[in-house]
Amino acid sequence: MNKLTKNSTVLQPDTRFSEPARLDDSKGLFAQREPAAWTEPEKGLFRFSFLCFFIQAVPLDPRFYGDLLTIHWDKYYYRDLFNLSRYAPRFFGPVDTFANWGVVALIALIGKVIWTLRDRDRRNYNELYYVLRVILRYRLAIGVLAYGFIKLFPMQAPLPSISNLNTAYGDFSAWKLFSMSLGIVPSYESFLGLVEITGGLLLLNRKTATIGTLIILPFTGNVFMSNLAYEGGEYVYSFYLITMALFLFAFDAVPLIRLLSLELPTKPHRFKFVLTEPWQRTARLVLKSAFIFFGVILYGYKTYAAYQLGPYQFPQAPGLPGASGLYNVTEFRLNNLVVPYSREDSARWQDVVFEKWATLSIKSNRPVKLHQPNTEQIGLTDADRDYELAGSAGRHYYTYQIDAVRHLLTLENRNPNYAGETWQLHYERPSASRIILSGRDQNRDSVYVVLDKLNKKYLLNEAAKAGRRGTLNL
Amino acid sequence: MAFVMNTLKQTTITEPVEEAAGQHPPAAIGAKPWTSFQKVIFRIAFLFFIIISLPTSWNWYQNVFTMDWLHPHYRDLYDIARFQPNILGNVRWWPNWLGYGEWLFLLLVSVVGGFIWTAVANRRKRDRREYNELYYWLRVIVRYRAGIGIIGFGFTKLMPTQLPYPSLGLLNTNFGDFTAQKIYWLSIGIVPWYEVFTGIVEVLAGVLLFFRATTFWGAVLLFGALADIVYVNLAYDGGVHGYSSYFVLLAGFLLVYYIRDLYNLLIKERFTVPFHYYPTLTGWQRIARVGLKVATFVIFLGLLYWTQYVNFRYDPYKQPAQKGVAQLRGNYRVTEFRVNNQLIPYSPLDSLRWQEATFENWSTLTFKAARAVPLDLSNGGGSPMRDLNRTFELTGVAGGQRVFYYDADTVTHTLYLQDKYRPAGRGNREEGGSDEGSKKPRKEKAPDNWIPATALAHIGPEDSKIHSLARSTRRTKGVVSEAKRDGKRNRMILQYRTTDGGRVILSGINENRDSIYVVLDRVNRKYVLSESTLKAGSY
Repeated sequence: MNKLTKNSTVLQPDTRFSEPARLDDSKGLFAQREPAAWTEPEKGLFRFSFLCFFIQAVPLDPRFYGDLLTIHWDKYYYRDLFNLSRYAPRFFGPVDTFANWGVVALIALIGKVIWTLRDRDRRNYNELYYVLRVILRYRLAIGVLAYGFIKLFPMQAPLPSISNLNTAYGDFSAWKLFSMSLGIVPSYESFLGLVEITGGLLLLNRKTATIGTLIILPFTGNVFMSNLAYEGGEYVYSFYLITMALFLFAFDAVPLIRLLSLELPTKPHRFKFVLTEPWQRTARLVLKSAFIFFGVILYGYKTYAAYQLGPYQFPQAPGLPGASGLYNVTEFRLNNLVVPYSREDSARWQDVVFEKWATLSIKSNRPVKLHQPNTEQIGLTDADRDYELAGSAGRHYYTYQIDAVRHLLTLENRNPNYAGETWQLHYERPSASRIILSGRDQNRDSVYVVLDKLNKKYLLNEAAKAGRRGTLNL
Repeated sequence: MAFVMNTLKQTTITEPVEEAAGQHPPAAIGAKPWTSFQKVIFRIAFLFFIIISLPTSWNWYQNVFTMDWLHPHYRDLYDIARFQPNILGNVRWWPNWLGYGEWLFLLLVSVVGGFIWTAVANRRKRDRREYNELYYWLRVIVRYRAGIGIIGFGFTKLMPTQLPYPSLGLLNTNFGDFTAQKIYWLSIGIVPWYEVFTGIVEVLAGVLLFFRATTFWGAVLLFGALADIVYVNLAYDGGVHGYSSYFVLLAGFLLVYYIRDLYNLLIKERFTVPFHYYPTLTGWQRIARVGLKVATFVIFLGLLYWTQYVNFRYDPYKQPAQKGVAQLRGNYRVTEFRVNNQLIPYSPLDSLRWQEATFENWSTLTFKAARAVPLDLSNGGGSPMRDLNRTFELTGVAGGQRVFYYDADTVTHTLYLQDKYRPAGRGNREEGGSDEGSKKPRKEKAPDNWIPATALAHIGPEDSKIHSLARSTRRTKGVVSEAKRDGKRNRMILQYRTTDGGRVILSGINENRDSIYVVLDRVNRKYVLSESTLKAGSY
């Protein structure tokens, strides 16, 4: 530290009146100083933090490498990478809990005690601190990039399905409403994705990493708060990312507060991790390039390709041709008895939706046992793509297979709480807007149903045309 | 302020020598002359930010000097905090550009002004070396403008009233029957604690701007939070994009000051000596500074908080304040429906028959029928005092949902209902706009005494129906003046009968002057959406 005083005498009088930048030691005077020794508490805290974050961030679970080796290189690459990016050590089954953190802290504490005993003479951990920051920068970057791209190409929250549009607001869970509210504005979702990606990319460069954390902290902080508020299932994971961002930000927090709040002259961090051997520099280049290629370019491209195929949240098998829409149940016979319109009768269908894909949903007063997954899952098969019914009551959702020759629909309730609820209906299409279904329902009762397509206009779409100050009759 | 009086604050050199990187006074650093380019840019920026940071509308001054400080309404203070450049207003000869046309106009005026200023300065040959002092005061004005403004907005979230929890009628409406704007507002309204959190962020950003040491952090917070809100408003057509952009602009201006130092420290990794110019205040100046600062805190953190709290507690401004008839509240199915004594069976396609009905906790009856009706697509904001004009439960809602305000004569069991939709009633109630314009005299209609005097006596005056703590001069005046300005509305007069609250029978004259007879049976409607744990209003 004392050398600094000497350095100041190097300054020529005229440079005093120049810009602050000119006070910089471009001749490397600061860099020649011997790195300062750390205090004992600093060293202790570092050892603990290092172990904690290392276990949290570096995949030590063999299952991770199993998944890594079996990664799909086809269109599901983005899904596999997305799942890999959410790695966190888990000791208690697949559900993320803070209990895992307790185990990590315990291991780190034991490790720290041993480390302290065996490494007493160390002056500082500047190199190891740098290495840890590199690890965390890349770990955090892939975490936010993975989510950023599925928002940039708006898939995470898709446009609501026809069934979702025809479900009462109060019949959704808060988490589903959050997702649908985002889904109606793809441009905003893209914007959020762009912010997230920008934060991630800034982490890839040492000098811009702190600015990256200034973007990620409020963004992921908000994700964390939203998960708590909307009863989402990713508050542990988002907090996991926040701890890393905080740790990275802490590195520059003191200089920033010194400069911006205390308004004092401030030294930058001058530590540079010097790679001496050529192979080390090559390795660094290869690793960084690989990260950017696999984590940004290829992942971005595959996500875009998936977006072109349609949102992964909804099934892909096509539905009855030309049938999609909302249908009034004009006539309903149960065991050959006409049941008039009723909002109370649990057997009487009130309306039916045919989606573009092979899902039909029935609104009736029959209660729905809620299916409520609340973490982000990219389903491989149509059966896994349960977004349409997740967190939603008011309608029963059926996937169906079409036998176009015998005019049969084989229906299967999509809700796992009604597993095995399978039945067959014969269909007739006397006109373009009418569908007649008949057969036996889930209770083996005979049903005969006349469906007429409604020319339903949704305010959500109509208002966009009329504008906030426009007029509309609907 | 005499320039000679001002010297640099000496605190910057109290640091140890080794840290200061030299024994010369840092006063010298950065105090070098500005380039002509910098000076021209500064003059333009100075004019521009002064114009947009100071209130220019007559109504603003009128409000400040006529409001009742002893019986304040939150909106009195909110209106002080709430203004944006509006010199040009809506004129034909200048493009609107989503409201940003005004900004461009003011920028052009400032550019012209800046060049004239430069020319005058050059001509007088007494050109200044720098504008550090003026820059300092400009930043003070912008900091306080942005801070007070965002606190005014933040408190309506901190006490969650700006985005209310959905009423029963809204919960019963299908997702596709809302406007995008409504969906966004509701999506925050369903999580009131999260709304409180966003309010805290906004108020915190504002408070941080009141202090030099925390200005950077406040500006970063303000910039990030409000940039998001700008995008939200553009995407969902929320109508507040102009006002939120205004804060992004102010925050951006405050951040410019730090960019050079940040770039030096983080990117160039150089030793950085910040330069800050602070005028030295003496005597009365010091007293004035402390006085103004304390006044800001007392008014915009103390008084505004209190008025906002009582508003949330007793009179949430987007939600009607009067208690609904206690035994009627709830969701109902329509068991029987007669028009002119003719039974109409239930059909989801019938344009007359009610499909379901709801009495809210407050003075509202909603019902649904399959008939297209004109819609109010505004955002249901503004500051109406009468329950009748609080339209959040109506605006941006379709699906055949009808919303009626009622006055209840509980002695004769009669409801006097008025449609909350009013054909001419839109426009003034925009959340984005101030109340300017609403004070224009409108043709007063002659009272038609459709509610008999005896019933009026039973109903009682609206103003005094809320808790005395929440009453204010603004409300008292507003209730009267809004009643005078009200337009033509649909009306119903219905008798209600109920024994145990399970069944309610309504009979009387509907809005088409037909006689109706409606049997309602209470349903215990279960919602998936969790109930709010933080409820506005007292019912």
